[in-house]
Amino acid sequence: MEDVLYSVRGLNVRYATRSGDVHAVDDVSLDIRRGEILGLVGESGCGKSTFGKAIMRMIRTPGRIDSGELWFDGADLMTYSEKQMQSVRGGAIGMVFQDPMTSLNPVQRVVEHLTETIRTHEPKVSELAAIARAEELVEKLGIRRERLDDYPHQLSGGMRQRVMISLALALRTKLVIADEPTTSLDVIVEAKFLDLLRELRDEFDLTILMITHNIGVVAEVADRVAVMYAGRMVEIGDVYGVFARPKHPYTVGLLNSVPNIDLAAHDLYKMEGTPPNLLSPPSGCPFHPRCPRVMDVCAVEIPVLQEVVPGQATACWLYDQVGVTGG
Amino acid sequence: MSPLSIIFLIIGVPAALGLVYIFVKGSAGLRRYILTRIALTLPMVFILASLVFFVLRVIPGDPVSSALGPKGSPETIARLNEQLGLNDPLLVQYGRFLGSVITLDFGNSLTGAHRPIVDEMSERFPATLELVIPAAILSLTIGVFGGAFAASRRRRTADYSLRLYSVIIYSLPIFWLGLMLQLLFGVKLGWLPIAGRIDAVVGTTLHHITNIYSVDALLTGNWAALRSVLAHLVLPTLTLGLILSGVFVRLTRINVIETLQQDYVEAARARGIRERVVIYSHALKNAMIPVITLIGLQVAILLAGAVLTETVFSWPGMGRYLVERISSRDYTAVQSVITMFALFVALISLAVDIIYSLVDPRVRY
Amino acid sequence: MALQTPTSHEQEWREDLQRVGFVRKLLAGRRWYGTDWWLVAISAVMVLGFIILALFPSLFAPYSPDAQAGPRFLAPGASPDVPVLVSLASSSISGLSDLEVPAGDPRPSVGVVRGVPTAQALNDQAQALNDELSGTGMELRPRIARFDTLEETLQAVADGTVLAAVVQSTEYEQVAGDYPTVAEGESITGGVSSEGGFILGTNQIGQDVFSRLIWGTRIALLIGFSASIIALVLGVPLGLLAGFRGGKLDRILSVVMDSLYAFPGLILAISITAVLGPSVLNVIVAIAVLYIPTYYRIVRGQTLSVKEELYIEAAKSIGARSSEILRKYIYPNVIPSVAIIFSVNVADAILTGAGLSFLGLGLPPDTADWGIDLARGQGFIQTAWWLITFPGLAIMLVVLAFTMMGEGLMEIFNPKLRQQ
Repeated sequence: MEDVLYSVRGLNVRYATRSGDVHAVDDVSLDIRRGEILGLVGESGCGKSTFGKAIMRMIRTPGRIDSGELWFDGADLMTYSEKQMQSVRGGAIGMVFQDPMTSLNPVQRVVEHLTETIRTHEPKVSELAAIARAEELVEKLGIRRERLDDYPHQLSGGMRQRVMISLALALRTKLVIADEPTTSLDVIVEAKFLDLLRELRDEFDLTILMITHNIGVVAEVADRVAVMYAGRMVEIGDVYGVFARPKHPYTVGLLNSVPNIDLAAHDLYKMEGTPPNLLSPPSGCPFHPRCPRVMDVCAVEIPVLQEVVPGQATACWLYDQVGVTGG
Repeated sequence: MSPLSIIFLIIGVPAALGLVYIFVKGSAGLRRYILTRIALTLPMVFILASLVFFVLRVIPGDPVSSALGPKGSPETIARLNEQLGLNDPLLVQYGRFLGSVITLDFGNSLTGAHRPIVDEMSERFPATLELVIPAAILSLTIGVFGGAFAASRRRRTADYSLRLYSVIIYSLPIFWLGLMLQLLFGVKLGWLPIAGRIDAVVGTTLHHITNIYSVDALLTGNWAALRSVLAHLVLPTLTLGLILSGVFVRLTRINVIETLQQDYVEAARARGIRERVVIYSHALKNAMIPVITLIGLQVAILLAGAVLTETVFSWPGMGRYLVERISSRDYTAVQSVITMFALFVALISLAVDIIYSLVDPRVRY
Repeated sequence: MALQTPTSHEQEWREDLQRVGFVRKLLAGRRWYGTDWWLVAISAVMVLGFIILALFPSLFAPYSPDAQAGPRFLAPGASPDVPVLVSLASSSISGLSDLEVPAGDPRPSVGVVRGVPTAQALNDQAQALNDELSGTGMELRPRIARFDTLEETLQAVADGTVLAAVVQSTEYEQVAGDYPTVAEGESITGGVSSEGGFILGTNQIGQDVFSRLIWGTRIALLIGFSASIIALVLGVPLGLLAGFRGGKLDRILSVVMDSLYAFPGLILAISITAVLGPSVLNVIVAIAVLYIPTYYRIVRGQTLSVKEELYIEAAKSIGARSSEILRKYIYPNVIPSVAIIFSVNVADAILTGAGLSFLGLGLPPDTADWGIDLARGQGFIQTAWWLITFPGLAIMLVVLAFTMMGEGLMEIFNPKLRQQ
């Protein structure tokens, strides 16, 4: 039995809009195993970023977590008070954001970002001690300690991203949630960043949830991958298994959409239909209006996530839901 | 030394030193910014002063005879015209005017006591300062913290109440607020005086150094005078400060709301930073940057409000002086006062821009 | 197989929206915009109300603003103290002229209270009326009966001892309940009896405060609207020009406008009116000059930011002419802002105008204006609090209405500030 760090059960997140409620995360259950890098992929608006925020309980009005259990390291975070959550955030769970330029406070020096975080979680630490820890931390990430006195706009893009990571690791972090961490980076910096991530995972014993729409990044660095569509989890499994033998029709379409340099222009694959209207989602399986292999039952009943081959689970009526079939 | 000079020294010397310090320690970008701002201020002063000059020269008729009224004999009028150089061609007069602006020698007032205008301003400018500075501080305090609070409680009762407050305050005519305060606290309740700067009897005991009575009272240890000055200061400061606070509440609120939508605010929360710190330290500091640039413009409103407040409370400052001089058609004095106002506005504008450059690290480095 | 595709669903929805009338959309906006909708709605009603007051003041004001209709310094709600004629309710006598009799007939008896000046008033009025009647065969020479107290006088009327009595209205009102058969008639001095209303009192020369308030709306709105319209007509095109063309023209204009904008508005207005002299037109011009930079700056800023948008470049690349670009892209983005500014501008203009007249500058001294009333009232702050309270309240309400409308419109039109 794998060691599970964070077990999410039946998470439902809704946003209230003027036109009605949007079901951003719909009954999602997920286990994040200790020490793994789990990729969470899906197109824009599928709910993956909301999921990432929700498991840190950072959903604010007009959004709300309707129901669900968040079993992190043996405790259900849903029962925590706001004060307790504040010590979890930045402490046991850290977040790395997409755009490092806008995620850093422009009027605060880099060192202050770190010392403030350290001293908020460990008030007994003196300013000098905090600065020392900050210097140690950033040097591990390849930033010279003199740069700590700079303001964010004085650093390069890659350096800023590394500062972001250091902020997420400032305390004894167990889980790092990276929300689109490489989207604003160029390819070379991105490669370096992914290498760094792997190193850190090994050195600090981290568990990483990588939320991204970039399948290539996931393929390169993740151990497992989860696919989301219209707020629901449609497939999850070992990264090689899912990418080599995708089960869910959406995953198939997603993988086919990645352009290949060997393909001619007219061979470019385009998925049918448009993304679902989350205000009035389709009945039954949310993918059914676009599914090339849709059946009658798909429009009526929602499929449940079930293991179809060892290490790979999917939510699709194509696979006998009663028992597990091979292949 | 005249009080005016003392005040200029008190403000000017530290400002100049500060400027030199900034220059030496700042980056090249900062130096360039400051120089540009100074360079832009000069045309602004020039334009305003010229506007003042030409607008007042458009008076149909002879300013001297309208000032003297029926008392003026043709000889007197002719003599004064000659004395004031009003018979010279317009450009010559314009040149002379510009010269007077630079040297701050405005000549004598046309009507009344014919005293040097600089002396009259010497007495009144500090009075306006004494009113305007506390009012500005009050309005900023209420405005900034009120606005930040409203932004943090967006779309809840506190937010709507503060927005209502700022709209109502904005709609209040400042002179009416002054009158109502006078009515309530002065007439009905009798707690506070409603006119003047200081009780007449106590005023004779006060030794004038800067002409800012509260400062003078402190410097000479005259506690009775200090009490009287402070009592007289309450209502006018409240009037001016409250009216202006409405503007700052709105400004701060909007800027804090926008700032709270920024990513780094979310990122700070993700690190477990307390909400209060997030709002009043992270967000507010960033939101204040655009607000600072707009403070310069609010000085204009401050001065306009000062004119009206001084009239309501019979406060002997520059604003009331202006209105008096207009009523007696003393156009030399009027011209001088307005020029002084223009200079004041330009300097404050410059100061605010420099402060802004120091506060925003993106400009500083 | 597949259900109705999302696209046709959307299309239908869009078509339905077009068919729904404007009024329905307006009312539907209530649910959508919530509080801000109410803000705009209420203030729009208020603004409309004020406009009606300004256009038809005589419909609402009981008196002409210049008429010295009542006694001086009458407090709000108080009745003027006038000598009135009282008589039996059953008799048809209500005014002094009803006591006329043909010459030679027995003279009517009228009671007065001893020691009170009503007797003199009675004498004077009766004398005056009698003089008018000479030659008509009628005369008015009442026989005056003096009583010691008011109660005796009134009792005499009730008993029929005297035909009528002349008493002070305020005193009479206090005891009127004790004499149910006695009714109050007209005032013998022809002024308003206690029935008449000076709802908000009178000022130091006897003018009705309420009427002056209503009439003041006209001047305030006239100045506010005219000044804002002139400023708009001059400022908006200049802003568009500067923003669209740029270059030297833009730089020169902007420096001038910025300097003007930075200068304290009231002081500028003061100087201009001081120069031009007191008249309504001059005030309008002075205030209009004040606000031209406001329109200029906003319009220029909007034009600049729209110009930078990618779709303008796209339009140019397919050959759109400048006038087309202006019309199709720039106007629609700029107009909502201008509407909002106009509303707030009128509010500001009214405030500035009131400030000017409060200082005694700008308007001719006999105008019915709130600022002038406030200035005059200040001298009587110790004794007549109503003289400064109500004109100021009026200013505040009008300015509030316009400001609220502008605020509400801004929240509705500015998507950046709307949550989600």
